[in-house]
Amino acid sequence: MLLLLTALVAVSLVSLLIGAGSVGPGRALALLSGAQDSEAHFIVWELRAPRTLMGIVVGMALGVAGALLQAVARNPLAEPGLLGVSAGAAFAVALALVLGASAATLRISVAQLGALVGCVCVLSVARFHGVGNDPIRLVLAGAAFSGLLASLTSLILLYDQRAADEIRFWVIGSLAGRRLDDLFGVLPSMLIASVMVALIARPLAALALGERVASGLGHHPNLIRWLVIACVALLVGAATAIAGPIAFVGLVVPFVARAFAGPDIRRTLWFCLPIGPLIVLAADIISRVVVAPSELPLGVLTALCGAPVLIAVVRARRLPML
Amino acid sequence: MSFSSEDQSCAGGDDNVPPPQGYRRFAWRSGNSANSLLFEQRAVAVNLGLLGALLFASVIYLSLGSVKVAPVAVLQALFGNADMMASFVVQELRLPRLVAAVSTGAAFALAGILMQTLARNRLATPGIIGIDNGATAFAVASIVGLGVSIAPPAMALAGATTAAVLTFGLAAGNGTQGYRFIVAGIGVGAVFGAITQLMLARVAIDTANAAYPWTVGSLNARPSGALQLLTLGLALGLATAMALARSLTLLRFKDATASGLGVNVKRRRLEVLLLSVALTGLAVAVAGPVGMVGLIGPEIARSLASSRSVPILAATLAGALVMVLADLAGRTLLAPIEIPVGIVTAVVGGPWLLWILMRPQRSFT
Repeated sequence: MLLLLTALVAVSLVSLLIGAGSVGPGRALALLSGAQDSEAHFIVWELRAPRTLMGIVVGMALGVAGALLQAVARNPLAEPGLLGVSAGAAFAVALALVLGASAATLRISVAQLGALVGCVCVLSVARFHGVGNDPIRLVLAGAAFSGLLASLTSLILLYDQRAADEIRFWVIGSLAGRRLDDLFGVLPSMLIASVMVALIARPLAALALGERVASGLGHHPNLIRWLVIACVALLVGAATAIAGPIAFVGLVVPFVARAFAGPDIRRTLWFCLPIGPLIVLAADIISRVVVAPSELPLGVLTALCGAPVLIAVVRARRLPML
Repeated sequence: MSFSSEDQSCAGGDDNVPPPQGYRRFAWRSGNSANSLLFEQRAVAVNLGLLGALLFASVIYLSLGSVKVAPVAVLQALFGNADMMASFVVQELRLPRLVAAVSTGAAFALAGILMQTLARNRLATPGIIGIDNGATAFAVASIVGLGVSIAPPAMALAGATTAAVLTFGLAAGNGTQGYRFIVAGIGVGAVFGAITQLMLARVAIDTANAAYPWTVGSLNARPSGALQLLTLGLALGLATAMALARSLTLLRFKDATASGLGVNVKRRRLEVLLLSVALTGLAVAVAGPVGMVGLIGPEIARSLASSRSVPILAATLAGALVMVLADLAGRTLLAPIEIPVGIVTAVVGGPWLLWILMRPQRSFT
């Protein structure tokens, strides 16, 4: 854990130092040690520092949301991006954009509402005829659902060229050029979500033993599920409002976290907190340097790196059961 | 659906043996040899019914739109004795689009049922396993001008092939069958989708708008040349598929069973895969990714036909019918705004797919 935290600090520092533009690590380091450099000051403190902060928040939110969703669906492939939660948020935001909403706070709550609806839809589909017991069928249902929402989003954009122009930059998922207002806007809901996570972690660990054991220990499985869904919606909606839909982070982070923490959901959640930002920031740094001087958006990079992980997971002879 | 009689040996060319129940035999003699063709009565009825529905839908398709032409006038215009206006609208404006709709729908559905049979999974259509996305990504790349000067149709074919190679390559090992293969395809499709979004975000809005039909699937921008190529490919593909019909029926069984019944499983697999990928690539080149047709067409055909054989022809006809109806709905529902056909099929097909997934797991393979 200490190692991970150190790594996180190191990656955050690197995130401040490296970028696609002309201010290289040397100049940035000089600035941090006290040199006067107005251009570097602007780039590092006005652009890269907020971006790093947002990366940390997005990584935490997506990682924890992925771990929660996987635990409640008892399915290692349950990932907000794959299951259509992000697509729900994106659809809601597109709808809000067309209807003329521009205030940052409104966008956040709209994204969270969309994520909530998406989450409820997919998980209720999963409860029919045991679709949820088969990890891969759940992913298929999520894919169908995401496809449906993506088409509806396109349909909305048909009406409104301005929104279409705006949304095509947003749907890729990126930390570049996002507003800091969004970050402050999501902080309250992140706070609520962390309190909720703290409250449901124990019952969730009991639920992992089975529904009967959990009720025997005095918990209410259905209540827990609903709380988890609300939590996931808050987290994913917040992350999507900041950075746009980013797939596969919620799949990879809990996977790595479980490698460190073992099967206990409480330990996994703790480990997700540093690992999520670590992965998102690392991906964001890579996204700045691979095609410098331009940038590869984060969403594309996570898809490029996450899809192989997904394939590796399903290729594994036995899916790890949760 | 036709396949030759199997009891030649015991019958010794005697066509007095009654055909199996539900089949009808047409026998004829030429010189010394006795020939016979066995038709499944239900398949014939289904195919004729679908063909009739397709023709009916086509006439409606030609008659509806911003300018309405009475069905009778449509028929007159088709056969060349109607007034100028009607024949211009029908022959010059709507007929090419109808041809595009019919051939892309047929190609998508044919590719779909071939791939489903190959993977022994009714959800394994090219649209779901990422082949559409691959074709789209390549076509968009050539439109937004990433230094590629090849025409979009050729690029779509290349993209479809790339995606197919990736999906099959990545899923190989423990089986080209089952859901793992599909999830590998979803992963590949996600990557290509992300790349497409990236390219669209990179360019000016006008270029992005030019590429828009390619991202949702639309019959608006039909590149010249691609349609001819598709009709040619579809004719060849359908003929090949019909010739392979018997092996396809047997490919539904286990590999050991199929090869015991005389099917060269590996070779057939490869042929069917190539055919399916080529059809998908060509169809995407004309209409963009209208992936759901590849799922809905075979689904309709299977529910109508008996399960004795793979309903290739019925699936093809049903796909064409779905595409014609979807484009008709897209053109007329919200007129004057036109909904791209890909959105119509996705809005209908998404819930359909969910419904298939939610039904009890009896008939998944």
